[in-house]
Amino acid sequence: MLKIENLHVRVAGKEILKGLSLEVKAGQVHAIMGPNGAGKSTLGNVLAGREGYEVTQGSVVYAGKNLLELEPEERAAAGVFLAFQYPVEIPGVNNTYFLRTALNAQRKHRGEAELDSMQFLKRVREKLAVLHLKDELLHRAVNEGFSGGEKKRNEIFQMALLEPRLAILDETDSGLDIDALKMVADGVNAMRSPDRAFLVVTHYQRLLDYIVPDVVHVLADGRIVETGDASLAPKLEEHGYAWVAERKLAGAA
Amino acid sequence: MGAALLEEFGRGDARAREESWRYSKMALRALAQQEFVAADANAELPETLRTQFDWPATRRRRVVVVNGAVSERYSDLADVGAMVTVGETGGTYAVRIDGKIDEPMQIVYVSIPSAQPSRWQTNTSMVIVNGFVTLIEQHVSLDGAGVLGASRRRIDIGEGARLDLVSLCDLPESMSLYRLLDVHLAAKATLHATHVLLGGRMQRLDMQVELAGEQARLESRGVFALRGRAHADTQLDVRHVARDTTCDILWRGVADQRARGIFHGAITVAEGADGSDAKLSNKNLLLSALAEIDTQPVLEIYADEVKAAHGATVGQIDERALFYLRSRGIPLADARRMMVTAFCREVLDGITDVDLRNRLAGLLVPHVDGASA
Ligand SMILES: Nc1ncnc2c1ncn2[C@@H]1O[C@H](COP(=O)(O)OP(=O)(O)O)[C@@H](O)[C@H]1O
Ligand SMILES: [Mg+2]
Repeated sequence: MLKIENLHVRVAGKEILKGLSLEVKAGQVHAIMGPNGAGKSTLGNVLAGREGYEVTQGSVVYAGKNLLELEPEERAAAGVFLAFQYPVEIPGVNNTYFLRTALNAQRKHRGEAELDSMQFLKRVREKLAVLHLKDELLHRAVNEGFSGGEKKRNEIFQMALLEPRLAILDETDSGLDIDALKMVADGVNAMRSPDRAFLVVTHYQRLLDYIVPDVVHVLADGRIVETGDASLAPKLEEHGYAWVAERKLAGAA
Repeated sequence: MGAALLEEFGRGDARAREESWRYSKMALRALAQQEFVAADANAELPETLRTQFDWPATRRRRVVVVNGAVSERYSDLADVGAMVTVGETGGTYAVRIDGKIDEPMQIVYVSIPSAQPSRWQTNTSMVIVNGFVTLIEQHVSLDGAGVLGASRRRIDIGEGARLDLVSLCDLPESMSLYRLLDVHLAAKATLHATHVLLGGRMQRLDMQVELAGEQARLESRGVFALRGRAHADTQLDVRHVARDTTCDILWRGVADQRARGIFHGAITVAEGADGSDAKLSNKNLLLSALAEIDTQPVLEIYADEVKAAHGATVGQIDERALFYLRSRGIPLADARRMMVTAFCREVLDGITDVDLRNRLAGLLVPHVDGASA
């Protein structure tokens, strides 16, 4: 579904991703762990199409297409979703209106019929229940006045509503208490399916107790330095990221 | 001729005029290059213009002014005849409102272009003796040889009376308009004014408000949304004269393409106007590198125990928010339109009539087209 090869990315003149390769198959959940500043958010932003990220080398193929050629909204319509590490507040733009516009824009782009407000609200109610989000949040402006936890759950709620094929979760777990963490995990697990893939970026192993990944990668200094199965996460937690760096050096020597 | 127009529209001494027309002098000079004939007060009202203001709800509470003259033919005050009188003395219309009018009244200024550039002017003196009235004011026109209108209005709001003014000025690019609104508020009187300025070759709004009686209150909301080569210049001059008076000013501005917007908001709290409360917020969005917005808040306080806050900004659209919307599948142009409309709509929040509010918001949309960069 997603194949990244030798990706080099510069941000503000500085090379952040330095030859990153990764392949995610449909139905899989990949976790990406790594220290602060490793380039995890950069990867998510590049995949979602944010401006200011200059790809100097390498390729990203998603569902047989060159992902890097598409506008952010085209990527979304093609099924790419990024749950932001820092969701943005948009004053004055009503949340319900925003969600309906987004969903219908994607459907229109794919040549599907747009949902009327009854159909839309029915869908919204179903998904809200899973994440235990209050109805009232729908009447507010996008993310405005949401608590940190509400913002993160709102990202997952949007994911549930938009039903992407490739969901990238950028530290959705950070700042969540255990109950909220479980809700997020429930939201993700409910959506796991053979034709959908997840890239779960996290700094801690905690989330992976609830969303058990198929593959775990360690991202450090702009590259994948270690790949393993779900058992890699607790080892990292125990030994710290320095341990990976040392093993890497030992392996090279 | 440039000097003559400045003479005509400028107020105060020579220096004050120069200063207050600083940003619009060129626009005024360009207008002065043209020859204007007197606009025809008996011109036929084109159907396309009538549909712009003919809301069934206000049909029998409506004054229509055609090229500066009140039109008997198109005006209808059947529903409010007992409370509203319109007269004329020495070229000035005198409007007197006495009593509570539950439904909004409408006053429409229609500018109908002639074969050559034409101009009109009108003077009005309005007295709101007591009660509460909502006035929807509208300027409508057609593109053509160009019209220069000038409307000067004095409004006196009596003790405890309230005026809600919603003023919509959506001008074609050949029309220019100078407006002077001079409002005096007696004790406990309230003015809630919402101004929407769209388009126009040159539009200038001078709004002077004197909070003359204790506990008089002004709420001023306004927005200009400009594209093409539109030019709008708003000058607010609010004077707290009596004790415990309040003003709350919230304006927004958007300029795209080569448009030019000016906001000057001056608040003076005079000696003796103790306990007054003055608030001014002005935020602006520049949507193109060639657009320009100048904002200048001025606060002068000569009284004691005054609460005052003011802030003015000119910024660009929030790129992070734009990316957030796009990442959810909303195309760039729509995302921009959503954000700009939301930015402008904030000034409409105080309008309690939902129909009217939505109507105004709808009118904003073509002026905040998301397509250009
Ligand atoms: N817009 C930016 N401008 C300058 N430097 C940036 C920008 N975005 C990220 N960086 C830098 O890139 C590096 C990787 O950042 P990021 O991808 O956010 O890391 P992570 O998410 O793994 O913590 C950091 O050193 C950060 O300072
Ligand atoms: Mg990050």
